[in-house]
Amino acid sequence: MKKNKGWFILFVGPILLAFLVVQIIPIFIGMYYSFTDWDGIGNQANWVGLQNYIEIFTQDEGFLHAFAFTTIFAIVSVFIINIIGFGLALLVTKEMKGNNFLRGIFFMPNLIGGLILGFIWQFIFIKAFDWIGAQLGVSALQGWLSTTMTGFWGLVILMSWQLSGYMMVIYISALQGIPESLKEAAAIDGANYLQRLRHIIIPLVAPAFTVGIFLSLSNAFKLFDQNLALTNGGPYNSTQMLALNIYSTAFTYNKLGLAQAKAVIFLFTVAIITLTQLYYNKKKEVEM
Amino acid sequence: MKYKKSLVFSLITVLLFSLFLTGCGEKEVNQTDAPTTQKETQKTEKEDKKETVEVDIFQFKVEVAKALEEAAKVYEEEKGNVKINIQTVGGGDDYGAALRAKFQSRQEPDIFNVGGPQDVEDWMDTLEDLSDQPWVDLALPGMLSGATVDGKVYALPFNVEGYGFIYNKRIFKDAGIDVSQIKDFASLEKAVQELDGKIKAGDLKDKYPLLEAVFEMPAKERWVTGLHASNAALSQEFDSSIAAYEAKEIDFKYADAYKAIIDLQANYSANSETKDRLVAVDYATQVDEGLAIERVAMIQQGNWIYGGVYDIDPEVADNLDILPMPIQGGKEDCIPVGVPMHWSINTKSTPEKKEAAKDFLNWLYTSETGKDFVVNQFFFIPPFEGYEDLQPKDSLGKAVKRYSEEGKTTPWVFMGYPTAWGEDVLGVEIQKYLAEKVTWEELVEEVKTKWTESR
Repeated sequence: MKKNKGWFILFVGPILLAFLVVQIIPIFIGMYYSFTDWDGIGNQANWVGLQNYIEIFTQDEGFLHAFAFTTIFAIVSVFIINIIGFGLALLVTKEMKGNNFLRGIFFMPNLIGGLILGFIWQFIFIKAFDWIGAQLGVSALQGWLSTTMTGFWGLVILMSWQLSGYMMVIYISALQGIPESLKEAAAIDGANYLQRLRHIIIPLVAPAFTVGIFLSLSNAFKLFDQNLALTNGGPYNSTQMLALNIYSTAFTYNKLGLAQAKAVIFLFTVAIITLTQLYYNKKKEVEM
Repeated sequence: MKYKKSLVFSLITVLLFSLFLTGCGEKEVNQTDAPTTQKETQKTEKEDKKETVEVDIFQFKVEVAKALEEAAKVYEEEKGNVKINIQTVGGGDDYGAALRAKFQSRQEPDIFNVGGPQDVEDWMDTLEDLSDQPWVDLALPGMLSGATVDGKVYALPFNVEGYGFIYNKRIFKDAGIDVSQIKDFASLEKAVQELDGKIKAGDLKDKYPLLEAVFEMPAKERWVTGLHASNAALSQEFDSSIAAYEAKEIDFKYADAYKAIIDLQANYSANSETKDRLVAVDYATQVDEGLAIERVAMIQQGNWIYGGVYDIDPEVADNLDILPMPIQGGKEDCIPVGVPMHWSINTKSTPEKKEAAKDFLNWLYTSETGKDFVVNQFFFIPPFEGYEDLQPKDSLGKAVKRYSEEGKTTPWVFMGYPTAWGEDVLGVEIQKYLAEKVTWEELVEEVKTKWTESR
């Protein structure tokens, strides 16, 4: 036991120290600032108690709206991302030509930075969709990103396109971990493909679903650069998500104290939601 | 087994050693840091001509970044003992955020930029009093007002910029419209209607195949609608940004005239039937893919677009001119002209650095070489006297200068709006108005309340 402790300090110590310095301590400093009226410029931050928190829930409609919008966005995009990701994984684990090539292609959007993606998709939605709509006479394709609805779906499409490939990689490794014998046995017993999928494959990749849903859920809540580049909250701040709302409070309105209070609420919400999700998903996993 | 053990051992030694080294390194820096700076200051006091003074500039105007570096090089050669480091971060919000980060991380620049009265107040603790500088007496009337507090000047105005309805002279000429008669809103509206009729009838199709509307309106760029357009109306109410800054509430007396300007642009844009789509129109669509390719004939913008349009079509760029932004019932035949940004000096820098920084700014705006850079490389319209021989060469710079000389200007008061009021309140409300989510009366009510609330 004594020996173990030495190893622990040696290997975990440096990382723990780094984690403490760049994560834990800043979180507490941030919490302190959330009780002040700091403007981010001088060093004079006056203690205002809970006033920032009260202001958020009584006066700040923007934040509550952003909260609701982000939640709906997270629910919709988690479903879409994981369904597409899992579908792609099933597709590329089939025996067929060009598998590896396809995997690379599907994963690639994930390698592009969020800002660039946002601007590319902005062009596609506004210019390309508009042109196609005009050619085909479909007015639903025109005027994208100019309404809340199209802005919302624009974000969902962008996010799904970017993250599905990443989730696919996670599901591929899970799918490959399923012993052939199980599937074969089921096939011999007369189970068709859908039955095998439902009763053998999906239960066995459940641990991967835990990870996949966790990642997409937390990413959807934390979404910032794509939001900034694609809609920047427009039209009329109706597609402003939580992170962007916090940013604008801090750097447009110069209310860093208030923004910090929002960030604290944000941190706790994301933590509670994702931990609850982890807890329930873990329960559903089966041991092989 | 033995091999494994020795491997583990060597790994640990390497790890420990690297830890030890990094720890040591930091200490070394910390220990030697203080003495050297002391030595440095001692040295500079004793033999200040020989020691190089470094001046860090953190600035925001991307368009001039390159030319500014060249100017700095010329200056360094002239002086010999100064080194100037320039760092540029563009865009409104980004610059503010980056500047804060700089100050918080103790990498304070010696020269940085501030906007209007709000910025000056926010950064007051760091601003050096520049009232004794030679350029103060050379400033044109009203140009220092944005950075003057209690009679003290805290920053040097960058340049003068003006905006209005920038139009393509060729299109108006070919449509047979005489722009010299446009002096008020009624005549402007008439000209716009006439041109609109001709475009719709296809009269200009042969010469301008892309031309589809009179205006393009970038409601997505809330600074265009919320800051600039509203300034036309509110500059009739306040005579300077300071007055706006000090106002506890606004009457919005010319709200209807402001509505007329917004409606005019929206009703004669390509999206006149689907106005809600205007909220997705951005700057590039308005300028690069609008005015520059002759898809539209007129836009609300300022003389800063010249370079961008020139890069796309020099001929269009040289055929641009500015029409007034008429506010019915107020001063109609005029454009808003003002100072967008200021240079300021960090009062917490060392005396040597501050001296060098002051000298550099002074050199840039008053020496012959500096002036040449300002006018011919930065394409600035200088806010100072003594530039009589150096006239702006671009069409829009000339236009702004013409309006200024004829006294047909109103001030930029939007620098004195409450923080974020112009863009995040009024600009957003304009988007709602275009999407028909609010009526004009509701909009006026809302923005007035928000103004009072934030004061």
